[in-house]
Amino acid sequence: MRKRDWLGAGALVALLAALPLFLENRYFTGVFTVCAIDGIWAASWDFFSGLSGRENFGHALFIGGGAYAAAFMNGKFGFNPWWSIPVGIVVPAALSLVIGFPTLRLRGPYFALAMLAAAAIMQQFAVIFWQYTGGTEGIYGMSRLIDSSLGNYYFVLATLVATVAVLKAIAASRWGRILRAIKGDEGACEAAGINTTFYKIASLALSAGFAGLGGVLFAHYEQAVTPDDLDVFLSISVIIMVYVGGIGSIWGAACGGILLNLLLELLRGLGEYRLWVFYIILMLVLFFMRGGLVAPFWQRLQGSRA
Amino acid sequence: MSALLEVEGLTKRFAGLVAVKEVSFTLAAGEITGILGPNGAGKTTLFNLLTGFLPSDRGAVNFDGRSILKERPHQIVNRGLARTFQLCRPFHGLSVRENVEIGCLAPRARQEGDWRRQASVILDEVGLAEKADQPVEVLPYGDLRRLEFARALATRPKLLLLDEPFAGLGAGEIGGIVHLIRRLHDKEGLSILIIEHRLREFMQLVKRVIAMDFGEIIAVGAPAQIVRHPRVIESYIGKNEAELGIA
Repeated sequence: MRKRDWLGAGALVALLAALPLFLENRYFTGVFTVCAIDGIWAASWDFFSGLSGRENFGHALFIGGGAYAAAFMNGKFGFNPWWSIPVGIVVPAALSLVIGFPTLRLRGPYFALAMLAAAAIMQQFAVIFWQYTGGTEGIYGMSRLIDSSLGNYYFVLATLVATVAVLKAIAASRWGRILRAIKGDEGACEAAGINTTFYKIASLALSAGFAGLGGVLFAHYEQAVTPDDLDVFLSISVIIMVYVGGIGSIWGAACGGILLNLLLELLRGLGEYRLWVFYIILMLVLFFMRGGLVAPFWQRLQGSRA
Repeated sequence: MSALLEVEGLTKRFAGLVAVKEVSFTLAAGEITGILGPNGAGKTTLFNLLTGFLPSDRGAVNFDGRSILKERPHQIVNRGLARTFQLCRPFHGLSVRENVEIGCLAPRARQEGDWRRQASVILDEVGLAEKADQPVEVLPYGDLRRLEFARALATRPKLLLLDEPFAGLGAGEIGGIVHLIRRLHDKEGLSILIIEHRLREFMQLVKRVIAMDFGEIIAVGAPAQIVRHPRVIESYIGKNEAELGIA
């Protein structure tokens, strides 16, 4: 990472930290909190799927897994909310192993489809076992991690920064190098003596753990979970965030998450046309800026100055 | 001389077609041997069986005194049996150096010490040191072939399986690859098994040729004998006699 990248990252974090102070509005603090959580989800998706090229169409399984783990721990059993964090990381990571072992050994679209199906199955379970999960109503009445909404926002923002820093550091190490080689040609990577199955499964577990962490933060922010946290719409939204931000860069994906959620809020004034305009903008971005918006923009900025 | 590779009765069927049929041969440590046969003779399938990329139906494969029949490709590589592919398969999105470093990250190679330095040594050895930081997308085909070698060598093999290492290369590039193979064999004592469908490249490089057709071994001998072997000549009739390298 060059000096300019550090400066850029520092400026961006400072801006995100300062904005709620200037806006002095609980509503905006909430918007930015959700933005940062989206950033965690997008970064965690990008770490596995962006680097390895194995697209995960059911990231909501991990997000919702973390959220429901938090809801059971805190909402149902009354544990201190901070217990949600370790449990909400471990549960989705364990789920990822159950799906990763049988499907990541196979070539082709099996993994993507298995993830899509697994999230859908889990969502149905959440509805069917309503005695435990609250059905479509979900579980509510959870406590907040930090009562002050500004304090909570700073905790979420710090978690986002830590998530991006950790995943980015791993991506820059030999681990990330191997994932990128798997994306290039998995068979050739095995011919180079690398146990590709191990790296894929371990990376998916890490991705799932961070997604679950984001799910925990979201559940405690909303003080509730619903089956929407396991919905395919959420899975697809996360993928779009990554593509808009710039796939494979992790920090770009995080920015994509922040940006898309902000855009959705800014369009709120359009009422029922909001989603329509939102998707038109997305399609334009995906058609005309195929590398994404944020990461390539930063690179171009670097190029013009250098 | 101890056998490094022992293959016994190896057989593979694809839905009725017997691609490899009862193939048996041994390869001594330090030996350089060619496998000759027209297209479709089962040479690449044999390689895929030996390297764990395909499961075999029947037979035994012992490498370095152990059975590798049920092992996965990466496990076989880490026993010291590496391969290249007929069509170069670089990792797109990575630089030349990063490509080689993947091989240096194999557990077997990591026992040899620092993987970054290992990669530099190997890039030097195959003549890609000056292009180390280029993306693989800009490499000419001859250099991609060298990169295939480099990545396989990075895993520190005892035996190297080369699948048509001259395919798609011009005369000058072929000379360079022949030179590289000979140097690896002479200087480092590397055992090598080479697939080719033309004998021309073999004549000067290998001492022994195993000729295959329809999945079976039809002749074994020195290149000069193989050229005159009636079954070998027969196997090339109607295909392209010039391909054998004797016309």
